[in-house]
Amino acid sequence: MIMSKDYQLKASINQKLIEMGERERLKELLRAKLVESGWKDQLKAHCKDVVREKGLEHVTVEDLVTEVTPKGRALVPDNVKKELLQRIRAFLAQHTAL
Amino acid sequence: MKMEDMPLSGPDNTKLEALVNDIYSELVEDACLGLCFEVHRAVKQGYFFLDETDQESMKEFEIVDQPGVDIFGQVYNQWKNKECECPNCKRLIAASRFAPHLEKCLGMGRNSSRIANRRLASNNNTSKSESDQEDNDDLNDNDWSYGAEKRAKKRKSDKSQNSPRRSKTLKHKNGFSPFQYNYNAGINYEMLGPDEVRSFLTTQCGVISEHTKKMCTRSQRCPQHTDEQRMAVRVFLLGPSAPVLPEADSVAGPESFDIPDGQALMSRLQWEDSPEISPSDSASSKASEEKSGSPFPIKLRMDKEPISVSLTGTNHSDSRRPKKKKRPPLGLNSGGGIGSLSGGGGGGGGGGSQTNISLSTKKKKPKLTAPSISSIYDDLN
Repeated sequence: MIMSKDYQLKASINQKLIEMGERERLKELLRAKLVESGWKDQLKAHCKDVVREKGLEHVTVEDLVTEVTPKGRALVPDNVKKELLQRIRAFLAQHTAL
Repeated sequence: MKMEDMPLSGPDNTKLEALVNDIYSELVEDACLGLCFEVHRAVKQGYFFLDETDQESMKEFEIVDQPGVDIFGQVYNQWKNKECECPNCKRLIAASRFAPHLEKCLGMGRNSSRIANRRLASNNNTSKSESDQEDNDDLNDNDWSYGAEKRAKKRKSDKSQNSPRRSKTLKHKNGFSPFQYNYNAGINYEMLGPDEVRSFLTTQCGVISEHTKKMCTRSQRCPQHTDEQRMAVRVFLLGPSAPVLPEADSVAGPESFDIPDGQALMSRLQWEDSPEISPSDSASSKASEEKSGSPFPIKLRMDKEPISVSLTGTNHSDSRRPKKKKRPPLGLNSGGGIGSLSGGGGGGGGGGSQTNISLSTKKKKPKLTAPSISSIYDDLN
């Protein structure tokens, strides 16, 4: 159940992340790790299939997103996921009074 | 540390954990979206499948690793020794010198205008008569000559006066700009009418170049052509009766670089003795009085630009100084004569007066004699 308080909490945490630049750092970190681990190439190969399937001329961003995102989420290596979660938790612990 | 495996300690933790996961999910989705955009752009721009070219095309663009050849397989200095034909002057220029040559030949580029101006300045100072001669055939040269004469004030013969190439740079003013070459400064004799041809030939060399079929626009004494050639051209263009080389008539000789010519000219004009005439002031005043009635000046080619004469004269109203270019009354008188007998007889075209001056000038140092000229006009007034 979504309580407005939680929602507010989430919003304020997000805001803090952005303001302190942490979100950007996390994003870059994630990207780097995904490339390093070969996740990007894997997913790109999958994209090629999608494009060939849909036809080069007619493929749209939505097509790609719907096809690619679920697979992308699933393909993230565990260690990458763990590290990221860790960092987020650390940030929260530092900057929230919970 | 696997926090997600630990038992939740409280509702807050759950929420916190959920929060953390949410944030993580958002980050991953951002990454995926970024990739989608990248791929979509690559597809639409056409480079998505670029790494899947067929073997044949791949072989075609393989990196070349042979000596003497670059990685594309092209020879390095293939065009080093080739010659190119300049579209402007039709000469064959070495490839490595082609670009600078074009710059000068076409009159564009940074240095060419600088060089041209410098040459103009020194040309006006040193070989004024010759340059004026060249210009008179072109239109709208009054202003230019005027300016040139003004500048002549500061004449310093920093370059050789006798260099035959001096005058050619003036052509630049009219868009030809052959700083070093003469070819473009020619006139096609087919373009001129008989009268024009005659007047042209009386002042300029006119010898027709074999390559370009153009007439040489240099002076009557241009070193590239002989007098025989000039005579032949005149015979060819004007018929056997026409050609009278102005050179034969030393008085009317448009350009004389030598000092003695000036002296002869002066004597012909029946002025007082040359030595007396030389000093600018006295000579000019005497000469002017005498000159007004003399028919000679008319015949001289000098009656081209009396205005310029006077101008140059006025520049040095007090000049007895040897430093300044002296213009013996010779030039002045002719100017005066011309003024009173405008257009009478004499040479066709403009610019004669300038030649007068140059003649007289050459007598001594190439400097103006302003006072004489001004005094003449005072007398006339």
